[in-house]
Amino acid sequence: MNLKTLIFFGFIAISLVLLLAAMAIPKNLGFDFLKLLLLLIAMLFDVLAFSSRFYTYLLVPILQQRKNKIVLSNEDPYWFSTSMDAIIKKKGDDFISTVYISIPLYKSATEMSDEEKIDFSMQVSRLVGLSKEPVRYTAEMFVMNKDSYIQTLRDKISTIETQESEVLQKNQQGIKLERIKGQLSMWRNILDKVIKTQSFELGTYVTVSAIGTKEFEAVSLAQQRAREMISGIGAIFGVSPILVTGKDILKYIEPEYLIPFSTVTEELSKKIEESVI
Amino acid sequence: MDEEAIEYLAFSMLIVFLVIAASSSFGGGIFSILASIIALVTAGIILILNFADYLIFPAVTKALNMEFYPARNYKIVKTQDAILKNISGLYYATGFIAMNLFPYSFKEENMPSQEEDQQKLLTAPESWEKSIINLTFPFKFHVFACGLSVQNIRDELEGKRSFQEFEMSKAQKADKPDPLALTEIQRKINVIKARIDRISQGERPVATIMYIETTAVGVSEKSAMDNLTEQIKELQLGFSYLDLELQRVIGRELYVLFQFNFSLPISFEETAQYFDQQQ
Repeated sequence: MNLKTLIFFGFIAISLVLLLAAMAIPKNLGFDFLKLLLLLIAMLFDVLAFSSRFYTYLLVPILQQRKNKIVLSNEDPYWFSTSMDAIIKKKGDDFISTVYISIPLYKSATEMSDEEKIDFSMQVSRLVGLSKEPVRYTAEMFVMNKDSYIQTLRDKISTIETQESEVLQKNQQGIKLERIKGQLSMWRNILDKVIKTQSFELGTYVTVSAIGTKEFEAVSLAQQRAREMISGIGAIFGVSPILVTGKDILKYIEPEYLIPFSTVTEELSKKIEESVI
Repeated sequence: MDEEAIEYLAFSMLIVFLVIAASSSFGGGIFSILASIIALVTAGIILILNFADYLIFPAVTKALNMEFYPARNYKIVKTQDAILKNISGLYYATGFIAMNLFPYSFKEENMPSQEEDQQKLLTAPESWEKSIINLTFPFKFHVFACGLSVQNIRDELEGKRSFQEFEMSKAQKADKPDPLALTEIQRKINVIKARIDRISQGERPVATIMYIETTAVGVSEKSAMDNLTEQIKELQLGFSYLDLELQRVIGRELYVLFQFNFSLPISFEETAQYFDQQQ
């Protein structure tokens, strides 16, 4: 008997016992209110028993913690496999490993002929029916991470600024200084534009999971299923899907990787500026 | 309703019926009436929980000011419609929208012609691009798919068709055949027939769940939540091109979809447990 069934029958049993106790109290002793109170509690357990069908994951922590901030888990929701190409999660005594496959598709309806559009729709339909096991197909739009590019631009500007101050100290007016000033204004304009404009990236990927009694077993099963998916997707679209590894997996899982930190801070300061004005 | 739902409902209702049957043992007079009322209210709550638990559950958590912490750094807010993550003073609110394809089941009443099919395939890529072109925030469009056994689905559909045909003959043999009932049964037969035909033509039955996930940022919980609500409204508007019913996910399904980011269900049976309403 699994935990869910056990909880259900446990609550039903408590409800029944309370109900029988309420009914067993003699009528003539003036305990009618007590009978009703017991009945109310019995009915509450009856409702809890029914709720356990979907809410077992909440009922046990609620009853254990008895407060309004319920901690279902205080651990990280996953960890990386040693090969860094899968994430692992524990479920009961088993391990579930999940891998992500990126599909490099760079097609737009605007540059397709009618025939190509129909072909593409058919390919997507075939993709959805590709696997007998549960698979998730995702099209993700996220803000392009321009942090490193912005940093390069800032470094460039500071180097030119140093050059400018050196020229000014040496009192070398003329073409050299003009050239440096021109370069500075150009790089500052580029930086301004890069920061102000948000660039989006549309990525397509597939998520595949596998279960195993050992960590390595789950990972190797997931990798095997990923290989099957890769060959299937490759045959449908004529592209080479890639197994996503390392930090790249994070942009499919963690919300903060959808929007880079620099973009967030820039956007927030812009909003504050607008509200102040 | 599946077998499990019937079992849960039967056992819970049994207790309620027991109270009603033995209401006289609760003191007689007004106390018996009160006991019956309590039993009936309980029955009502159980029925609402069975068909629309997403209405009761968020109402209870909101009233009791309950928040859940499904993992480190994550929080499910008391309204049960968003998951918050706090990273270095910034709040990331994630919400989900479920997409239902049910308008298509009505189209199955009259099988579309080949030209109509071709037209749909032709417009699909453009509709997709039109939907996303004006969106200026991150989102994920997920299609969760699970292949089903062709033989099992075919047997199930054949069984359903036989039952509907039996109902039809019963309705036709009645003294005064009800034309509305006959039309309704014919509609059901057409839908089942269309599905059987599609499987016969080589289409593979696939169970799918489509949903959109979006994340908004804010310097406080409230601003992140407000931004999220705004984004969800924009998504609902943007994806209206795809002729789908879009509904914000509230309640236990929010927790399930959040878990999907870290691990998927392993079988169709496990998936079906989580999405009883969509079976």
